Amino acid sequence: MFRQLKKAAGLAAAILATTTMISTAQADAYPEKAITLVAPYGAGGASDLAARALAETARNYTDGKPVVVVNKTGNGGMNGARFVSESKADGYTLLLSRVGMALYPAVYTDSPVGWDAYTFLGMLESTPMILAVNANSDVKTIDDLLTKIKDSDGATTYAASGPTAIDGFSVQALLSDVDLDPLTASTLVPYKGGSALAAALLGGHVDFLAIAAGSLMPHIEAGKMRALMVYSPKRMDALPDVPTAKELGYTQAGQVGGWSGLYGPKGLPDDVVAKWTEVLGNVATDAQWLDLAKKRGSVSIIGDEDPSAFVKSQFELYNGMAKQFGYIQ
Amino acid sequence: MWNELLFAFQSVATLPNFLAMFAGIWGGVIIGAIPGMTGTMAVTLALPFTFYLPPVTSILLLVALYKGSTYGGSISAILIKTPGTASAACTVLDGYPLARAGKGGKALNMALVSSCIGDFISNISLFFLAMPLAMFALRVGPPEFFMLMAFSLTIVASISGRSLVLGIISACLGLLLATVGEDIYGSYRFALSEDMKSGLGMVPVLIGLFALPELIKMIVFRSEENTEAMKLGDNRLTLSEFRGSLKSICRGSLIGVVLGAIPGIGPSTAAFFSYSEARRTSKNGDKFGEGELEGVAASESANNGACGATMIPLLALGVPGDVITGVMLGAFMIHGLTPGPLLFQNNLGEVYALFVGILFSSVFLFIAGKATAGAFTKISRIPQTLLLPCILILCVYGIYSIGASPFDVTVLLVMGVVGFAMMLLNIPAAPFLIAFILGPMFEDNMRRSLAISRGDLGVFFQSWISWGFFALTVLFVILTIRREWKKWREKRDATPTSAS
Repeated sequence: MFRQLKKAAGLAAAILATTTMISTAQADAYPEKAITLVAPYGAGGASDLAARALAETARNYTDGKPVVVVNKTGNGGMNGARFVSESKADGYTLLLSRVGMALYPAVYTDSPVGWDAYTFLGMLESTPMILAVNANSDVKTIDDLLTKIKDSDGATTYAASGPTAIDGFSVQALLSDVDLDPLTASTLVPYKGGSALAAALLGGHVDFLAIAAGSLMPHIEAGKMRALMVYSPKRMDALPDVPTAKELGYTQAGQVGGWSGLYGPKGLPDDVVAKWTEVLGNVATDAQWLDLAKKRGSVSIIGDEDPSAFVKSQFELYNGMAKQFGYIQ
Repeated sequence: MWNELLFAFQSVATLPNFLAMFAGIWGGVIIGAIPGMTGTMAVTLALPFTFYLPPVTSILLLVALYKGSTYGGSISAILIKTPGTASAACTVLDGYPLARAGKGGKALNMALVSSCIGDFISNISLFFLAMPLAMFALRVGPPEFFMLMAFSLTIVASISGRSLVLGIISACLGLLLATVGEDIYGSYRFALSEDMKSGLGMVPVLIGLFALPELIKMIVFRSEENTEAMKLGDNRLTLSEFRGSLKSICRGSLIGVVLGAIPGIGPSTAAFFSYSEARRTSKNGDKFGEGELEGVAASESANNGACGATMIPLLALGVPGDVITGVMLGAFMIHGLTPGPLLFQNNLGEVYALFVGILFSSVFLFIAGKATAGAFTKISRIPQTLLLPCILILCVYGIYSIGASPFDVTVLLVMGVVGFAMMLLNIPAAPFLIAFILGPMFEDNMRRSLAISRGDLGVFFQSWISWGFFALTVLFVILTIRREWKKWREKRDATPTSAS
């Protein structure tokens, strides 16, 4: 009669074991067991999908050792980031980092983790952002939108995860670029998560937004939303007629965008770093990885950027804006 | 349409599809029945496997896990007063008293039957009403959502038990605790430690509040309570009992469908909503909370009714309403399918195959539920002194496995002590929980509405949906005050006569 309970306890223990495996033995040939990859945001979101795609692809190159994705969410992604940065630097606990890992320390001086409290193993993908309005809106171009914002004296609304989140900065950077007050020229309406943001625009509850392309593309393709501008280094394949912020001459907005990277705790041994450089090199050209990236609307950038220089420039960009907008002194 | 349907039937009725669904439902029921392990976890763990399955099969597997776990939560809710998932919290209110009275099997059967009916009605609405319901859901903006939440909070009056005042105190505590952590603008409240910045987890609070007080009670009042195993009396659900609850089941299913279709509300709110409605309208309303089968039926039909309906905004609009449908959205994208209006144009074959496949889920749920519940019923025979410590261990492991966070375990234990204190003071736990669930939605939507209107309160009265919920709220509050007033007068009239 205890069989069910016993089975349940066994299952619980097994899951526990895979999530918290921390070894004390020194690895002679890394990896010699399962690697935990922490996704700092919720299941089904951009970081989770990127983590699972990386885990599925990388396992072909990690000598048969699986990469297990664990979602450690909360506090703007900082819970997961802190967990990894405080883990043992043995290469068995890694972080799927997002732009938030550079943005949060840039905006909060009391951030639990600094932007550089990691070993940077590599950048993975860039995820473009799109500025969009509802298809029923009278706004047809980015200039229409800016005129409307100027004329409305702060009454236009945009949806974002929060004033200091990446999708809040995307709008504020644009407003600042055209010499409007980034905090009061348009009213921010906070929502949680990409799909709630998209639904707010779809239902006509806000006037515009600028969020990750992955959450908007289906609605743009269905003709329910109109894309006005893209935040990405070059135009998106799916939206060849929509200009980028860079080519329109918006200097700050032109640098805003989402990305994923692979981090470990500070002080990873050289053999671990070397192994992951090799693994990521293989992943970069792997058909499965490229295919999954394309399907979720992102561009693989493995090997394109020097990770620490890139993350540093991102930190400085947002730190500069946070100071300019008055979030920090 | 019928031609496509028949074609879809042919393509979906394959052994791998049925196997995936059956395995999904059964696995879901078992995971849902284990305290601390939730449907979200089941779906997330299964996601990597779906990379290798055909699109329809993989979505069917995820849907099956979701449905299974939503029912599975009721098993532990009824038998050991530990809701396996949040949506089963409401089932505890009548399910556990029934189990104590030796009618655990009966309650389980009622939960299963109403879950299957709720599931079926919800699948049918997904089939026929996806578009209109999705359009309605989109029109529910922050002001309408706020009014709906205000109305939902009146549920507290129905689940307070003997004293409305104690119920309101309990709800206020729940609202207070719901404010812990980050608000929607990114400022922190009650962030006494780094962990508290992300707020208190729903599952640890829920399990701490319901399951642990029983254990503490056993330790503190060792000899007073009988520690023997529960007796297993009559387990069969009679036809007249079923007929008596049929109205509540149907109403619960419909409530589940409508609330489930609105992104963000979810099955647990639907369950409480339906319970409150059933209590208000049932002729046995006064017995709710003391072991009334109709209460179990109302709660379980609504949470499974909401389950299928959460697929409506996902499929019709591409907007997932909760974490689980969020994971499903991910699974769709991995297979190159984009949910939303285009799905119905480009992939109609898959959509119909999915609909037909989902229709079968009700049947599978019944079979898997029947088999599992039968096995789990034997848990009741374990003496309490053995069972409760086992539950504690399961809870601690389950909670820890969600996010590998020791803080969650601390929350679980602290909430256990709080729950025990509330038990001693006769403060009901259910209002606390519903306020804790609704609190953030209530607050967030109020602040969102006021941000949109820039502080103008008129925003709350701009659509007929808002007016409708406002009128219902006022009506319900007046009815509750009148009921309390009558009770008070009866008491006042009764006291002097007995004294003289």
